[in-house]
Amino acid sequence: MTVLKRTDMAWCPGCGDFLIRDVLEKALQELYIPMKDIVFTSGIGQAAKMPHYLDVNYFNGLHGRALPLAVGIKLARPDLTVIAYSGDGCNYGEGGNHFIHTIRRRLDITILTSNNQVYGLTKGQSSPTTDLSIKNDLSPQGNENIPLNPIALAITMGAPFVARCYASDREHMKDIIKEAIPFKGTALVDILQPCVTFNKTNTYQWFKERVFKIEKPIEDRYEALKMAELWGDRIPIGVIYRNDKAVCREIKKIFRERIREEHIENQLDMRCVMMR
Amino acid sequence: MEFNVVIGGEAGQGLFSVEIELTEILSRLNYYFFATKNYMSRIRGGHNFHMIRISEAPVHALSGRKWDMVIALDEETDNLHRLNLSDDGIYLSRGLIKEIEKEAREKFQDAKYANTMLVGCVLAVIGVSPGITTEGVQDEMAKHLRTGFDYALRSGIAGKYLLQPMAGDHCKFDGNQAIALGAILGGCQFMAGYPMTPATSIMHYFSTAALTMPVHFEQAEDEISAINMALGASYAGVRSMVATSGGGFCLMQEGVSLSGMSETPVVIVLGQRPGPATGLPTRTEQGELNLVLHAGHGEFPRIIFAPGSIDEAIALARKSFALADRYQIPVFILTDQYFADSIQIMHDEIPKECLSREYPVFDATYKRYALTEDGISPLTCPGLSDARVRLDSDEHDEEGKITEDLDLRARMVDKRLKKFAMIASDFMPPTFYGDRNAASVIVCWGSNKLIVKEALEKIKEDGKSAAALHFAQVYPLTAAMVAPYGLEAKRLICVENNARGQFAGLLKRELGLNVAHPMLKYNGECFTVLELYSGLKRLLT
Repeated sequence: MTVLKRTDMAWCPGCGDFLIRDVLEKALQELYIPMKDIVFTSGIGQAAKMPHYLDVNYFNGLHGRALPLAVGIKLARPDLTVIAYSGDGCNYGEGGNHFIHTIRRRLDITILTSNNQVYGLTKGQSSPTTDLSIKNDLSPQGNENIPLNPIALAITMGAPFVARCYASDREHMKDIIKEAIPFKGTALVDILQPCVTFNKTNTYQWFKERVFKIEKPIEDRYEALKMAELWGDRIPIGVIYRNDKAVCREIKKIFRERIREEHIENQLDMRCVMMR
Repeated sequence: MEFNVVIGGEAGQGLFSVEIELTEILSRLNYYFFATKNYMSRIRGGHNFHMIRISEAPVHALSGRKWDMVIALDEETDNLHRLNLSDDGIYLSRGLIKEIEKEAREKFQDAKYANTMLVGCVLAVIGVSPGITTEGVQDEMAKHLRTGFDYALRSGIAGKYLLQPMAGDHCKFDGNQAIALGAILGGCQFMAGYPMTPATSIMHYFSTAALTMPVHFEQAEDEISAINMALGASYAGVRSMVATSGGGFCLMQEGVSLSGMSETPVVIVLGQRPGPATGLPTRTEQGELNLVLHAGHGEFPRIIFAPGSIDEAIALARKSFALADRYQIPVFILTDQYFADSIQIMHDEIPKECLSREYPVFDATYKRYALTEDGISPLTCPGLSDARVRLDSDEHDEEGKITEDLDLRARMVDKRLKKFAMIASDFMPPTFYGDRNAASVIVCWGSNKLIVKEALEKIKEDGKSAAALHFAQVYPLTAAMVAPYGLEAKRLICVENNARGQFAGLLKRELGLNVAHPMLKYNGECFTVLELYSGLKRLLT
């Protein structure tokens, strides 16, 4: 693979995505998963460029569609480690419906969202996680919409592993990602990622004054939801909900399993194909 | 000799099961038959009717003749179909049906068994003996059938239209079953879909097949998700498909474009129904040709098939997966509600051998979009070796990395479009019927094939010279495909189920051919043989 310099990466100097990239690379190495078996899917946006800067297989698809690609890959190849990586606009806005339904599918997929609460690549419009009243290009009067709470939504939909981390706390982020990827089940990690260019509210300083760590994963769903509700003055980071009792669905092996003549014979049911 | 029966009633009265039981037995007894239906988009009530044509010779279309038998489970059948009963035809009125239902209630404690009695009754009319019919049938069902036979005997209609079973060994399919089986023979092991008439039964076939075979069906949250799942599975190394109708396909279009850009093979089945928007959800049309021709933004190659018979549907569905892989493109199978829902018998041998994808192994120098002589880069899937498989929806370099190098952009466009030339030379030729010297040629595509064929035979019986050309591959259209027929010098009549002659437009655009007479039908119903024959006869005098 061509080795990229930082300046070849499409992010602004000081972008939280650089921090996430370095941590991801390290976490993947420390997990000892063969890189050939790791597949990233991503959508569109600054965050969605992430797989281009890692030594992994990837399918960088369309805006909002990182999750259905991940579902298709996992169902076809349960042997692969599948990580869907995109931004808040992609995973929660354009792909919001997929976010809800991917969780319902009970697959062993890791969903990482680089959440900067703004549309960066299109230059600073509101995203689904933009706070109320924040002013920008397309909301000069201030954002009128309540921000989507991905943590609470994921817990409500039944995701068995829901975490939040903060791009500037690298060691903590690495620990969380290293816990999320091997977790057997749908794992969401919402990564708070300050956008230095377009988000002048939720800055490194703003987060520094607010984030606090949850020492150990919350296993009670209602307690976890209470924690998920916290935003504003105090913002929890860590594994907000972990349910080790949740069971992934079984996936039948289809890859390289040949359909044989007797399968077809059975299908033809002697000579008449049965209706419905 | 043939016998045409229509069974009409409300949704929920069990007419679908009458058609299924009747065609199942006709097939077992080796009768030639053709069955199709006209149904409303509702679960209960309304008026549905099922049309079954039984014959001593092959039949693959509705005749359009007057009915030999009308079975009225509702008042509406009386209004709509009684007018079309032949002079000496049999009419089972709503009143008579009530008597049969009463008998079913008395004998079997449930009026619903009247439907199986009706099956027995129809079989008695064509002279089948109850002994043969009930062979191998469950005892309960045999009783119901026999009671139907007895009713026919008592009413004096048994044996009124004597027919011999002449079909011999065969298979029976509806259009969607043929496509689903063809897909599995093509090595398709993954399907994602969102239910939509008339494509849903393909999904049903896959979900059922998945119980016993290494295939998977995933019900998606929407069509956007369905096609992206299919592309994900294809990238991961499994041949995949989606099936939908026009409205669902509109949602899939971005995925078509993604297939084109990322060069990920996928097969898309579009069962057409009348649009725009929700249109007539359960009726038929060929209005989506232009949609599929232009679906997805940007320029990239594609292939569009439109099978016209069961054997063609199986063969083309199978072949679609090989072509999608070979050229790393989206391949379309365009059908319609009429073809999807019509039950036909077929004598052709079904290939039992499944195709499958090759998995070449490369080293770490592998480039997914390597620039090659013919524009086709070696295809493999992730996880087999140190080769990283990287796909990108952005313009990309040979490794699959996002690029804004504009020279490279032009080379990548050329690479993708180069495939057109190979695809164009690898075509499925059209099928020609009739007289090579005829001055007029009837052109058709997709599901009209065998209706046109039978209408042409009737024209020939009148001593007129005519010919027909059916396209099962509607795109690309090349000069080589039509070269043997000298169409420039012919008067072309184009038969289509749409309002604007979409295929005629394509013939003009791609081949410079002018259609003199469009024959269009777009009320949501298929053509009948008689209808086409009458129309064509006027044009050919």
